[in-house]
Amino acid sequence: MKWPRGPRSGLRVAFGALRPGPLALGAFVALGIAELAGFFVSSRRKPDFADWAALAGPMAEERKQGELVVVAPSWGEPLARQALGDEVFPLRDVARPDVSRYRTALLISAFGESSPELSGFREIGRREVGPFVIRRLENPSPAAVVFDFVDGLGPAQASVRTTNPEVSCPWNPNARVIAGGLGGHPTFPAARFECPGGPFFSVGPTVIAADEAFRPRRCLFSHPPARGEVVTRFEGVPLGSVIRGHGGMYWIIERERKGAPVALAVRVDGEEIGRWEHHDGDGWAAFEMPLGTHAGKKSATVEFFVSSKNHAHRHFCFEADTR
Amino acid sequence: MSGVKLTWKDDLAAALLAGLAMVVLVATVGDLGYARDEGFYFHAADSYRRWFELLLANPRAAFEPKAIDGAWRVNSEHPGLIKSLFALSNLFLQKKWHLFAMEGTSYRFPGIFLAGAGVALVYRWGAEARGRSAGIFAAIALFCMPNFFYHAHLACFDVPVVTMFLLATYCFWKAMREGGSRWPIAAGLTFGLALDTKHNAWFLPILAVTFVALCLVRDRLTGGNMKETARRALAALGAMAVLGPLVMYALWPWIWRDTFARLSAYASFHLNHEYYNMEFLGRTYWTPPMPRLYAPLMTAATVPTVTLALFALGLGVRARTRIQAFLRARAGKITRREGGETDLLWLMAIGISYGAWVLPKTPIFGGTKHWMQAYPFIALFAGAGVSWLVSVLRVELRKLKATNVRKFARGPAAAMALFPVLLAAPVAETAGSHPWGLSNYVPLVGGAKGAATLGLNRTFWGYTTGAVVDYLNREVPRGGAVYIHDTAWPSWDMLQKDGRLRKDIRGVGAVHEADFALYHHEQHMQGQEYQAWVAYGTVQPAHVAGLHGTPVIWIYRRKGR
Repeated sequence: MKWPRGPRSGLRVAFGALRPGPLALGAFVALGIAELAGFFVSSRRKPDFADWAALAGPMAEERKQGELVVVAPSWGEPLARQALGDEVFPLRDVARPDVSRYRTALLISAFGESSPELSGFREIGRREVGPFVIRRLENPSPAAVVFDFVDGLGPAQASVRTTNPEVSCPWNPNARVIAGGLGGHPTFPAARFECPGGPFFSVGPTVIAADEAFRPRRCLFSHPPARGEVVTRFEGVPLGSVIRGHGGMYWIIERERKGAPVALAVRVDGEEIGRWEHHDGDGWAAFEMPLGTHAGKKSATVEFFVSSKNHAHRHFCFEADTR
Repeated sequence: MSGVKLTWKDDLAAALLAGLAMVVLVATVGDLGYARDEGFYFHAADSYRRWFELLLANPRAAFEPKAIDGAWRVNSEHPGLIKSLFALSNLFLQKKWHLFAMEGTSYRFPGIFLAGAGVALVYRWGAEARGRSAGIFAAIALFCMPNFFYHAHLACFDVPVVTMFLLATYCFWKAMREGGSRWPIAAGLTFGLALDTKHNAWFLPILAVTFVALCLVRDRLTGGNMKETARRALAALGAMAVLGPLVMYALWPWIWRDTFARLSAYASFHLNHEYYNMEFLGRTYWTPPMPRLYAPLMTAATVPTVTLALFALGLGVRARTRIQAFLRARAGKITRREGGETDLLWLMAIGISYGAWVLPKTPIFGGTKHWMQAYPFIALFAGAGVSWLVSVLRVELRKLKATNVRKFARGPAAAMALFPVLLAAPVAETAGSHPWGLSNYVPLVGGAKGAATLGLNRTFWGYTTGAVVDYLNREVPRGGAVYIHDTAWPSWDMLQKDGRLRKDIRGVGAVHEADFALYHHEQHMQGQEYQAWVAYGTVQPAHVAGLHGTPVIWIYRRKGR
C-alpha cells in the first residue's frame, strides 16, 4: 500500500478521515477496545479478596487500643472484618452510635475513597499497604464519655422493672438467643433482663439496622409494655454534664410511619431531666439532656423510662452515655 | 443495509446459533445456584407434573375438576405454559430419560431452549430486515448481555417471555409485510403462547394497534395503500384477538373453570403488585414514587456500552434513512415504502417495554428483567448499526490502492474484521459475570466495584448460595445446620437433590438455630447480618464470596463451632 505524498495529499487524507463514516468507524473500534480494556481494568482492579489479608501485619502495628477502624468504601468492610477479626473490629465499634467519642480513627482506604463520617477529622499520618492507604485521623473535639449505659447493662449495676403492673424483670445470663429471621426482629441476646410477656419484653444489648442507610447500631432493646413503662435503672453512675444518646428501631418497621411515638424519659436521682419522643421516620435520632445540678456527680442513679400509647411493633432500642 | 431473502443457509445459521447458545448455557448452568422464584416454580412444576402423570395414566380422572384445581391452583398468579414445560421436561428428560447430570437442569432446560430460540429468531429477523451481518451481530450481542445471559439459565419466565414477545412481534410483522393467511394465524397463535407465558404479553395488543394506526397515518401522508394496510392489519389483529385467548385458555387448565373470576384474580395480582425493596444509588426504594431514572440508568450500567452505542448508531442511521425516504415519498418521487415499518415496530417494542418502568408508580422489584423484552430489539438496532459500519469499511477498503487489501471489501471479510473488536467486550463481560450475573456492571460505572460504591443493587433472589456450596460442604459438620437467609426452601432442596450440597446439612429459618449463617447482601437485609453478629458473638465472616473483589454473599460461623 502506498501512502499519498506531499502536503496536498496529506490534507486530503486528513479531511477524508473527518468524514462521518470513517470517523464513526474509528470511534466504534476505539470504543470496543476501550470497553474491553475497561473491563480488564475494572475487574482486576486491586484490592481483590486475597489482598485484604495483607493488612493484618500493618494494622497490628498501627492500631492503638481503643482506636476506631473505618473502611472506605464501606462495602469493603466485610472483607476487612474477615481479614482482621473481632479484635480490630469489636462489635461496639462496628455498631457505634456515632464517632464523636473517638479521639483517633484509622481509615483503611481503597481507591482513594474517604468516609463521610470522618469528614471532620484531620489526617495526622498515613501508610500505604499495597492497594490500601491506612490513614490516621484525629478528632479535633472528642467527647469524654464518663459512662456508657449499653456497656454498663448487667446485674452489677443495672436493674429493670415495669410500672404497670409493678414487676421486676430478672437478669438471665443464659437466656435463649432468638433471632427474628428474614424480616423479623433483632436478636435477643443470651444475657438480658426478662420482663413478663415473652422475649419481646426483654432488655438487653442488640444491634439494629436503624435508619435509611441500614447502618448497624448497638443499643438496648427496650420494647415498651402494653401499659405503663419499662424502666432500666443504673446505680452508682458517674456523671458528666449531659446524658446523650440515640434511639430508633428497625428501619423496615418505622419507615411505614404507622406506629405510635415512643417516649423516653430520663430521671437522675429521682428528678426527671428530660423527655424525648421518637416518631416513626426519625431514624437513628439523637437526644441530649443537660444534667444541670447533677452534673459531675461521682455517683448517681439514672433511670430510663420507655413507654408508648400503642406498643404494637414498637421494637424500640436506645443507647446513651453521659459525657 | 437492506435485508435478504432467507434461505436454508439462514435456517442452518439460526439453528447453529441456537445450538451454540444452548450448549454454553447447559455447560455453565451447574455453577449457578437457584433463585428464589425458581424455587416457587419447582414446587408448581412438580404439582403440574403429577397432573400430567395422571393425564397419561388416567385421562378421565385428570379432567375431574378436583384434580385440575388441586394441581393447577399452585402458583396460579402466573400462567401455566412455561411451568408446564418445566414439568414435562422434568418428567421426560430427567425422570424417564435421565438426560441431565442434575435434577435442577431439567427444570431449567425449557428456559435454556427458549433462550436459544430467541437468539436464533434475532438472527433471522435481523438478517431478513437488515442483512446477515446485522442478524448475526444482533444475535450474539443479545446473548452477550450479562443480565440476559444470567436469566437465560433460569427456570423462570423472564427469558421465555422475551422470546415469546419477540416471536409474536415477528409474526405480526410478517403478517403486515406479506399479508396472506399464514402469518396472521401464526401471530394469533404466538400471541396466545406469549399470553400464557407472562403478563408482559399484555403490551402486545397495545403495540400492534398503535403500530397499525401509525402505518395508516404514514400511508395517508405518503400516498401509500391504506386499504391494503388496513386489510392486513385486520387479519393480524383479528387473529390475535381470537386465537390468542383461545390458546391461552387451552394451555392453562387453571382457567378452564371459573374463567373470568380466575383471570380477574390473575390480572389483579399484577396490577396491584406489592412493592419490594430495591437499592438504587445508595437508597432502598420500597414504595412509590420510584425513580424515573431507574430503568435507563440500570440499562446503561448493565448492558455493554459498545452494544448500546451501536444501538444508538443503528437508530440514527435508520432514522436518517427513513426521514429521507419519507421526504422523497411526500415529494412523490418514490412510492416504495419497505423498511419504515420495521424500524417503527422495533422502536415501539422498545418504547412499550420501557414505558411502564419510567412511570413513578410502577414497582421496580425485579431489576432489569422487567424490560428485558426490549433487549432483542436493542440488539437488532445495534445490528443495523454494525451493518452500516461494515458498509463504511467496505467503501474505505475499495478506495485503497493495494489490491490485496481491496479484495476484502467483498464478502464477509469486513464484517469478520469488525465483529471481534465490537464483540470482545460484551463476550468478556458476559463470561466474567458468571455465576454472579446480577452483580455484574459494565466498566462505564466501574464494574462491580464501581457499582457497589455507587450504591447499585448487588444481588437479589438469594441464588448465590450456589457459589458457596464448596465452603459449606467442607466446613459444616455432619448434620450441621445452616441459616439459609434469602434462599427459597425449594431452591435449597434442589441444591441437595443435584448433589451439589451435602444432604446431611440442615437448612434452618433462623440464625439462632444454626451454627452457620448465610447473608446475601442487599441493603435492606443488613439487619439479617446484624442478627448473626449478636447470635454468634462475632462480626468476622468466616467466608466471603463475590464478583471481582466485591462481596456478594458471606457466611458467619458460630464461635467455637
